[in-house]
Amino acid sequence: MLKAQELTKLYGSKKGVENINFSVEKGEIVGFLGPNGAGKTTTMRLITGYLYPNEGDVYIEGHSIIENPSKAREFIGYLPESNPLYEDLKVKEYLEFRGRIKGLKGKKLQQKMDEVAQKTEITDVIGKLIGNCSKGYRQRIGIADALINDPPLLILDEPTQGLDPAQIYHIRELIKSLSEGHTVILSTHILSEVEAICSKVLLIHKGKIHFDGSLEEMKSALRGRTQIKVTLLCPEYKGAELLSQIHNIEKFAVEKSEEEKQCAFTIEGKEGVDVREEIFWKCFETKIPLLEIYSVKRTLEEAFLKMVSEEEENQ
Amino acid sequence: MNKVIAIVRKELWQYFFSPIAYIVLASFVLINSFVFYIVLAAMSKAASPPISPMALLFGGTFFFWLLLIVMIPVLTMRLGAEERKSGTIETLLTAPVSDFEIVIGKFLSSFLFYLLAWALTLVYVFILKSYDNVDFGPILSGYLGVILIGAFFISIGIWATMISRNQIVAAIISFSVMAIMVGMTFFSFILGSEKKELIQSIDLLAIMENFSKGVIDTRNVIYLLTGTVLFLALSVKSLEARRWQ
Ligand SMILES: Nc1ncnc2c1ncn2[C@@H]1O[C@H](COP(=O)(O)OP(=O)(O)OP(=O)(O)O)[C@@H](O)[C@H]1O
Ligand SMILES: [Mg+2]
Repeated sequence: MLKAQELTKLYGSKKGVENINFSVEKGEIVGFLGPNGAGKTTTMRLITGYLYPNEGDVYIEGHSIIENPSKAREFIGYLPESNPLYEDLKVKEYLEFRGRIKGLKGKKLQQKMDEVAQKTEITDVIGKLIGNCSKGYRQRIGIADALINDPPLLILDEPTQGLDPAQIYHIRELIKSLSEGHTVILSTHILSEVEAICSKVLLIHKGKIHFDGSLEEMKSALRGRTQIKVTLLCPEYKGAELLSQIHNIEKFAVEKSEEEKQCAFTIEGKEGVDVREEIFWKCFETKIPLLEIYSVKRTLEEAFLKMVSEEEENQ
Repeated sequence: MNKVIAIVRKELWQYFFSPIAYIVLASFVLINSFVFYIVLAAMSKAASPPISPMALLFGGTFFFWLLLIVMIPVLTMRLGAEERKSGTIETLLTAPVSDFEIVIGKFLSSFLFYLLAWALTLVYVFILKSYDNVDFGPILSGYLGVILIGAFFISIGIWATMISRNQIVAAIISFSVMAIMVGMTFFSFILGSEKKELIQSIDLLAIMENFSKGVIDTRNVIYLLTGTVLFLALSVKSLEARRWQ
């Protein structure tokens, strides 16, 4: 469906995105996830041909967006980030204009206009000036435009930004229902949005792709290993000795214990191993009372923030 | 072609939605009526005037040029700059329509508006006809001149609006370029006689004088058409260039 090859875009001497590679298959809902300024919009502008890359190319159903732009763009319905619309047109006039420049006319145009207006639930405002429509409606109008010529690929840049929770829910449901007949690429900086809608994620940060895979894969990659906290009733050195005898423990760190004669540790086991059981038996053998043991799962949100800040430290 | 028509329709629609269309038309009619009044006054004098009365309408007065270089920037300034400013250019440039179609659509919309304004002056021709025997030759060639110079100046306006993101800036750019072109006459006074030939062939005042006298010089026609094509080509290029930015 879509193949982006080694895309690099410079804004002056500043890098917008660097060496972006990915492909999207038919029927997928792909989420571009990243903080502000990550390069999500830049990537979308490159794949829609609004901007041309300094290096690389994009192929949509095999058509290069640079060599054969008019053809390649026929496959795309695009909702830009700020959802720009002509304020002085009526909704109906706008859809008619957009339908015509996308090659529709006559009966077919009218039929498509009715169809998308119903699908996006904007029939109430069809005769209103766009300038007088509320934000939720405007977002739907933008989506209706993207849908009008029934393109196989939809590219939606932050489709739920600035909406109230009810509207966010409605737009998400709409996007989900669209995924039946369309391949969708959307961007967001909200993790839960990706969880709610997407089947595949591209994590973009500082102009590069940091992760490309399924939602499940992303979750485990982001969360990393589960941490385990234990509290033992023994001196600190004894506890450390006990833990270092368990080979499946990758590393452990001493925590401040709240009460005297106790010691507490944070433990990370080796990849894919649950060390809780071993810890229990070891305590049993050495007759050190195990006061507390529990595992701490990082939320995705925390993991995401951690990844982003780690990246910053590395630079 | 259907896509070009779609753009023309939308632009004309937006013209008539804003007060600009009505202000431009009103001042056009006002100023030309004033000029025409002078024409009639001159004709009612016993001694017939040395030039064809309609020639005054086709470049024979300061008002013609003033109208041209003010009206055309006002008509064209919104077309590209506003799309940039509001961001709608993003939806336009990502639709399956070529940069050429976009430029032609925008050009034709203001050109049609310009033709509409001039069509109103046909009334004067009828009034004149009831007064006197009119020589239609110079009138037809005069209108041809008006059409060609309009196309040329509108293409300058389109280019200016395509490279700006502010309407006023676009208007100032196109106004300045047109003012220099019209002012070319004055360079012939400064330059030596050997350069005069060249300046004369691109002197718009002289060109319009030819048209209004009924003289259709192919060099004049080619000059105006080449200018139009050149600025339209520059407009298309500027749209493409912004994708590479
Ligand atoms: N037209 C431009 N000129 C110069 N720099 C730009 C331009 N557009 C984007 N950038 C820069 O490129 C980088 C990527 O921006 P981009 O808009 O793609 O990020 P984003 O992921 O969409 O962010 P957001 O979540 O805020 O929308 C940013 O550092 C931004 O400042
Ligand atoms: Mg963005």
